[in-house]
Amino acid sequence: MTFVPSLLLIEDDDAIRTALELSLTRQGHRVATAATGEDGLKLLSEQRPDLIVLDVMLPGIDGFEVCRRIRRTDQLPIILLTARSDDIDVVVGLESGADDYVVKPVQGRVLDARIRAVLRRGEREANDAATFGSLVIDRAAMTVTKNGEDLQLTPTELRLLLELSRRPGQALSRQQLLRLVWEHDYLGDSRLVDACVQRLRAKVEDVPSSPTLIRTVRGVGYRLDTPQ
Amino acid sequence: MTKAHDKLHGLPAARKAILSGLRFTSLRLRLVVVFALVALTAAVSASGIAYWLNREAVLTRAQDAALKDFRQQLQARAGALPPHATQDELQVAAGQMATSSQRYSVLLIGEDASGKRVYGYSDLDGFTLAKVPKALRDAVKKQQAVSSGNRSPYHLYWQRSTDHGTPYLVGGAKVIGGGPTGYMLKSLEPEAKDLSSLGWSLAIATALALVGAALLAQAAATTVLKPVHRLGVAARRLGEGKLDTRLRVSGTDELADLSRTFNRTAENLEKRIADMSARDEASRRFVADMSHELRTPLTAITAVTEVLEEELDAETGSVDPMIEPAVRLVVSETRRLNDLVENLMEVTRFDAGTARLVLDDVDIADQITACIDARAWLDAVELDAERGSTVRLDPRRLDVILANLIGNALKHGGSPVKVSVRLDGESLLIAVRDGGPGIPEDVLPHVFDRFYKASASRPRSEGSGLGLSIALENAHIHGGEITAANSPGGGAVFTLCLPRDPSPLTADPGPDGDADPEADGGPDGDRPEEGREKS
Repeated sequence: MTFVPSLLLIEDDDAIRTALELSLTRQGHRVATAATGEDGLKLLSEQRPDLIVLDVMLPGIDGFEVCRRIRRTDQLPIILLTARSDDIDVVVGLESGADDYVVKPVQGRVLDARIRAVLRRGEREANDAATFGSLVIDRAAMTVTKNGEDLQLTPTELRLLLELSRRPGQALSRQQLLRLVWEHDYLGDSRLVDACVQRLRAKVEDVPSSPTLIRTVRGVGYRLDTPQ
Repeated sequence: MTKAHDKLHGLPAARKAILSGLRFTSLRLRLVVVFALVALTAAVSASGIAYWLNREAVLTRAQDAALKDFRQQLQARAGALPPHATQDELQVAAGQMATSSQRYSVLLIGEDASGKRVYGYSDLDGFTLAKVPKALRDAVKKQQAVSSGNRSPYHLYWQRSTDHGTPYLVGGAKVIGGGPTGYMLKSLEPEAKDLSSLGWSLAIATALALVGAALLAQAAATTVLKPVHRLGVAARRLGEGKLDTRLRVSGTDELADLSRTFNRTAENLEKRIADMSARDEASRRFVADMSHELRTPLTAITAVTEVLEEELDAETGSVDPMIEPAVRLVVSETRRLNDLVENLMEVTRFDAGTARLVLDDVDIADQITACIDARAWLDAVELDAERGSTVRLDPRRLDVILANLIGNALKHGGSPVKVSVRLDGESLLIAVRDGGPGIPEDVLPHVFDRFYKASASRPRSEGSGLGLSIALENAHIHGGEITAANSPGGGAVFTLCLPRDPSPLTADPGPDGDADPEADGGPDGDRPEEGREKS
């Protein structure tokens, strides 16, 4: 009764789609594929996968736009597949709500490792709750409420908040957070952390531009404070 | 010996330097000097000639008038005297002669009946025989033979002379037929005064001409030098790379011609450079596009070769032993192709200037250990670094640099490779030392060149030929540097020097990069430590 993750792979190039499907299936995933963003969104409404692997360069609506549309209603984990590792692409991708990105030519094992890391973020570990001002983090139910209202967080955002809340008042470096949340090796891209912190602040802070909960510690990283 | 020689050469050399300095430094000075010299020559020669002509004219007229009058008076007064006139008679005649309008003094010398010399003075204080030069007296006394060309035995002689600074004219004649000898003395002081004031006026005029010439030279220098200066400024701007520099052309003189030439040159230069950079840009874009296009099939191939590789490693015997080497070759070459394309992409990003730093604070010892560990080099590399030193840099780029430097050292120098880390003020120094034969001197300057091979006959190495070049670019983007050298004890040393905090290099605004995403937040923003310290 092993858990077989179901993935949705949106990629326009036939060869890459076929090869990745082959590779990911061999790694033990159930893979559904779509060649365009429109098809992918349609497929998404029919069957709900556990994770989406999304190519950036798509005919019609591009990967960033697909990502933004999914994020409007859904907190599904998304991994971007970017052919260009031009840094601006990565930034746009992270801003549109992607949880992680992989640069082509991608090795199947790396992609698999990233997929599993993202999926692990939704797993619950402890059964307690923590309160930070009006923010209540229920580790048992894996929910976060602010002023009694449920917040819609992606698994990555939730995991980031959990890792921070486990060490309240203690600064965590970006590299530490990359290891804890993204399970990246020592070369993790610190912009993943910054982008995710921004998104998380937009959801949990009263005024996202002057945060009182998730604070930046200059020269170190981030820290979760209990507001006075 | 050499010193004396130097001294000998020293002086002319110095003079030459001064001359050439004058020749090249101040066109203005030279123009002024030349103008002044021309004006001086013209004024002095014109004044000189004018003065000389005037002087002659004035003196001759005064002299002619005086002598003519003297002759008439002498004939009229002295000729009317008896042959042996007495002293008194001579005196009276002299006085009468001196009253003429020409205002000269007269001295008459005759012989009285007793043969004694008698003198008649018009002005005893001013004019005595002593004032008459001897030569003149002799000439006057001298009786000449009468011929067809010379009708009289005695002539009127004159001489101009100066006495105590006062010019005067002395003339003398003997009355023909035994009459007395008469001398006259006329002061030329009024004429001299006139001439001296003329001289002064001419000198003043010359001085004025000089001043005028200097002013004109200044003006001329300005009109010439201003365009020259503009031209100089424009040429400098052009040299600084501002290729759209043009001059405003007015007029048709040589300078306008020069300006036009300058403009044409600048235009051609601009066009050529635009052409070249367009071609350069096109070829760069071609490489970028090509490596980009290679990626798509490569992604598919990479994904599939992994499947093949797993199949080989599975040892289930599903792969035909005959085909196995072929599959292994495909797998390894695909990996190499991947690296090559990856490196090409990296290079094109640097060339296009789209490479960006993603800075983070990292523990340098941890980072190097991780880099070595990730490539299973722990046994071959000795690391000498203190833990706990935090540096701000792009971890991925540091990894690229270190992997290339250490990989290169392992390949060419062999283990053990020593990596030492030192923090020196504001910079981080990482030295990678190998125990190999070192780098030949002629190869040393080229080790960072792209695709540089130490010799054509050398077997193709495993690297892409871009590794060290990429390492260097990655150091440059941090504002750092890599130097290659041979250590005295043998073996090559690559030293990477990075600033401890290259943040100023990424100062361009953007949502990423800076470690402080809410830096523009409210005043109550996010500086908890500082806030607490203050309160």
